[in-house]
Amino acid sequence: MTFITVLITLLALSVVTYLVSLINNKLGAYFTIVTSLVTLLLLFLLKNSIGQLASISLFTFKLTTVGWYFSMVMVVVYFTSAFLNPFWMKKMIYPAAYNLFYLVSLIGTIGMFFARDFITLFIFWETVVWTSTFIIQMGKSRKSSYVYYVVSAIGSMVTLFAMMLVYQVSGTLEISVAFNALTGQPVLALIVFFTFLLAGLSKIGIFPFHVWLPMAHGSAPHTFSPVLSGGLVKMGAFIAYISVSAFAAYEAFSSSFTIMGIPAPIYIIMVLGAISIVVGTVMAIRQDDAKKLLAYSSVANGGYILIGILLFDQLAFAGGMLHLVSHAIASATAFITIAIVAHRTGTTKMSKLGGMIHKMPITYTVYLIAIISMAGIPPMGGFVSKWLILQGLADHGLLFIAAAAFFGSIGSFMYVFRPLSAVFLGQLAPKHENVKEASIMMQIPMYLLTIATLLIGVFPKIILKVIAGIQAEAGIQEIVMVGNTIVVANGVLDTFRVFVVFGYGFLIALVIFILRRKSRRVTLMDTYTSAEFVHTPELLHYSSNFYAPFERLTKKPYPVLNLYEKVSIKIKEIGHMAESLFSSPKPAVTIFWIIIVFAIFFLGGVL
Amino acid sequence: MTVMNFVYGFIILLAAFIFQTTITGFNRKVTARIQKRYGPRWYQQFLDIFKALRKSSITHGWIFDFGVIMALGGIMATVIFIPVAGFEAFPNMDNVYIISYLLAIGMLGMAMSAAGSGNPWASIGVSRALTNMLAYDIPLMIVIFTLIFAFDTASVSEIAAMQQGMGILGWNAIRMPLGGIVAFIALFGMLGKKPFDSFIAPAEIASGPMVEYGGKHLGFMFILHELMTFIEVSLILNLFFGGGSSILVYAIKYAILYTLVNIISQVMPRYKIDQAVKFFYRVPLVFAIIQGLVVIFLGWGVSVWF
Amino acid sequence: MVLENQDNRNLWEKIGDYFSANSIWMKWYCTGCGAIELPPTMTSRFDMERLGMGPMATPRQADVMLITGYLSTKTLRRVIYSYEQMQDPKYIVAFGSCTINGGVYYDSYATINQLDKYIPVDLYIAGCMPRPEAVMNAFADLISMIKKGQANGWRHYQENYEWYKKNQLDSLEEVIIHDEFHE
Ligand code: SF4
Repeated sequence: MTFITVLITLLALSVVTYLVSLINNKLGAYFTIVTSLVTLLLLFLLKNSIGQLASISLFTFKLTTVGWYFSMVMVVVYFTSAFLNPFWMKKMIYPAAYNLFYLVSLIGTIGMFFARDFITLFIFWETVVWTSTFIIQMGKSRKSSYVYYVVSAIGSMVTLFAMMLVYQVSGTLEISVAFNALTGQPVLALIVFFTFLLAGLSKIGIFPFHVWLPMAHGSAPHTFSPVLSGGLVKMGAFIAYISVSAFAAYEAFSSSFTIMGIPAPIYIIMVLGAISIVVGTVMAIRQDDAKKLLAYSSVANGGYILIGILLFDQLAFAGGMLHLVSHAIASATAFITIAIVAHRTGTTKMSKLGGMIHKMPITYTVYLIAIISMAGIPPMGGFVSKWLILQGLADHGLLFIAAAAFFGSIGSFMYVFRPLSAVFLGQLAPKHENVKEASIMMQIPMYLLTIATLLIGVFPKIILKVIAGIQAEAGIQEIVMVGNTIVVANGVLDTFRVFVVFGYGFLIALVIFILRRKSRRVTLMDTYTSAEFVHTPELLHYSSNFYAPFERLTKKPYPVLNLYEKVSIKIKEIGHMAESLFSSPKPAVTIFWIIIVFAIFFLGGVL
Repeated sequence: MTVMNFVYGFIILLAAFIFQTTITGFNRKVTARIQKRYGPRWYQQFLDIFKALRKSSITHGWIFDFGVIMALGGIMATVIFIPVAGFEAFPNMDNVYIISYLLAIGMLGMAMSAAGSGNPWASIGVSRALTNMLAYDIPLMIVIFTLIFAFDTASVSEIAAMQQGMGILGWNAIRMPLGGIVAFIALFGMLGKKPFDSFIAPAEIASGPMVEYGGKHLGFMFILHELMTFIEVSLILNLFFGGGSSILVYAIKYAILYTLVNIISQVMPRYKIDQAVKFFYRVPLVFAIIQGLVVIFLGWGVSVWF
Repeated sequence: MVLENQDNRNLWEKIGDYFSANSIWMKWYCTGCGAIELPPTMTSRFDMERLGMGPMATPRQADVMLITGYLSTKTLRRVIYSYEQMQDPKYIVAFGSCTINGGVYYDSYATINQLDKYIPVDLYIAGCMPRPEAVMNAFADLISMIKKGQANGWRHYQENYEWYKKNQLDSLEEVIIHDEFHE
């Protein structure tokens, strides 16, 4: 089976989905599940044909392990969140279009990961940007989709510039070859490195491009937020991968100033990653909207992934790649659970929720496992990847970046706990007395993702084997596993043992607990209130200003956002001025200006 | 992984519990003497724990129970991984990151159960405890990071073994004095000793996370607290004060370190939580970074004595 | 009022009572004048920690509730509420003549006269106000009572719940109030 067949099958299926959705949108939504499942299976089969070259009209593709890896992550996220689509069809303005865009963006990502030349890469990249822009627009606010589009467009235009620059120098568009022409031209390499990486940085939400994430994630349709955060953000990581592998940034800058063995340009990008860890963490702690909180956490985790991939060595690179998967899964799970809570209660504001565990125990458990992974606590997937990154950083001695990584990982305990406590635990408001547990259909993706998180946490070997393949492909030292143990220069980790010993400890505690007298069940309101009689559950629920002291410490105005606002006001003013000049009520004025413009244009041509 | 590993693990658990509870009892007496009191019996802490386990209890739903069990389970698993004077129940599992992050699962369980009680004070306590953790953990982790970089291993027992054989001069706290200070201050934060005890402030937020516990849940919390203390003091002892070449030396050093922390904390007032964060980011963080830079760029302290 | 009953505890209960007797955590309900006698009892002059006693923050954690003086009907509701939140076995020590028979407030419209009509009191300390010596003495008595299995007020409360409830409702109409300030 060739890649082109797969691509064409998928395109055909998405058109079918669109046509079905026009007749019955709910059925169409089920078609998105089926199509993404088919994609998953086909991609899985493609594993055997890695190395295959394919082309259709002007697009050329090459099947690589890394492309396969990225697209598998993407499809898993698309597939699992597709299960929510049928429930949201009623809320969409254009349900058929939503289904179509959902699948086309999936195809776009796959095409992009397997692209062999710049044009293919760029066109598929833009397909994803456009389709997702239209989807985000169907959510809460239109403004966020503008912001998303503008940030993406800036990124992709600058990257296009880099591609053209490379083309000019090398005369070829093939990714793996074109960059070779840059050797021996450090200044040009520098320009290309930063400009090429820009699309990736803007996509992964690295500081200072992180503003779009919370806006877009927060207001996108609830079904698409898991895809945005779990999937599309990771496209940026792919660009980062190209910049260290095909572009070979380490060789290109080998003569430049180095910091702890890292060339300065790469180090600068890594510092940006570190800053986004800190900024993402601090902002996530301050959010009241659960989706925005998770979006900022994606900013922070994007920083980890970027740092890991850019280090491009045995340890941290494996960590970054593994973090890509574990975060994609954890964050998709978290977004799905929040989407379900929003579906049942109608809000994602944490201060308006509470006590959901008594109504949705399964959703709670799934969320719990997701956040344990997200916070990097064993025995879940997130721990292994963070462990690898931290060990890698210690290996290099990158102190400041490690400090940011520590801040992010302790800070993540804070922000993941907030929805846990404010949404699921605490007092149940009377108005949520009749909330129901997620339906079976919604539970399926939760189970699938939870099993995946656990599997990665206990047997990271499954993923690390593929990563070792990528490392072999990229020509760096492969990560070593002996049995279940990850063996690296400065430490060993046997996650299976950690899991077993945790189970052992849990068992001992359970036995002691059961041996003691059974507890009496009391209501939630029968709680210590300094002997005051309180009858309003909402008053006893601590959810707003959860980290008040910390928020007080970080209340300083947020400089980047202010800057952006100022710039956008200026641009708007210029736009208004232009508008007032051209579209005045008197046609004579307009014509006058048009003549002037044309005159300048022609004169410019002559001169 | 054989049955013996699990038996050893159980022995470590039991020994750690008995040892630390005795030390706590002893320290209650020390505290009393500082306050010019006579103080309780040395085994008072045991009586308290068994009494709590004996009483009847209430529950606020399954998460209230489950959280407590998960907390104790996580903490017990962490204790099993702690190397004591070179003895490990599960060899090669004493990675510093495993210990410090596995500890977090216990804390998460406790926080979950506390918030599950539906009491606002519990949630306030948890939010303070987490903020406190963000304060003390960053400087400490930076110093630990420096150690890993310097010795090229993240194994607690190996780092402890490297410090032995030179007497007091071998200790990391002496070789890297700023790092030692940071670790010592961070120990106060980890143990929730004054001045960093605002998250359990009894008079202010009714003992924070513990507010709704009674009976066996409270007994669990006490056991958990003893084991957690054991983990934290052991970690600092192994990493910065040379561990112990034999169990006896280890126990004596442990007792001295813990008592010292207790004595100092008894004459301290209490920081507000944001003051604690400010303090940790102003003094220990700067110390930790200076220490890190000194070790990474100058190499002082790594092999300066030999 | 000491509730006498013969010793028919089994071994486990005896061991349990030994622990209970030697580790008493208290919740003191600072009504009336008596609370001021407790700081000296706790600190270096008398040091109640010698007996294994110490203050605790909430009724859930506490074993003994100290009622340190007169109780207005308004506070009685809170005392009952707190008492019912405590975990068995639990004890009550009442301070001063006000809790025994009303003391100087015997004819006040706002206070209750006899505490053990509403909640079971294990031990009274006479005096107006009892000095720390008396308080310490009472605690020693409480300990020996628990050891002998005689401090059974909490059991008495369970067995005669209707009687206590009736007395409470007679004086208070309802224990847990529902009004515009508490909704
Ligand atoms: S007995 Fe005396 S000291 Fe005690 S409350 Fe009554 S009046 Fe006050």
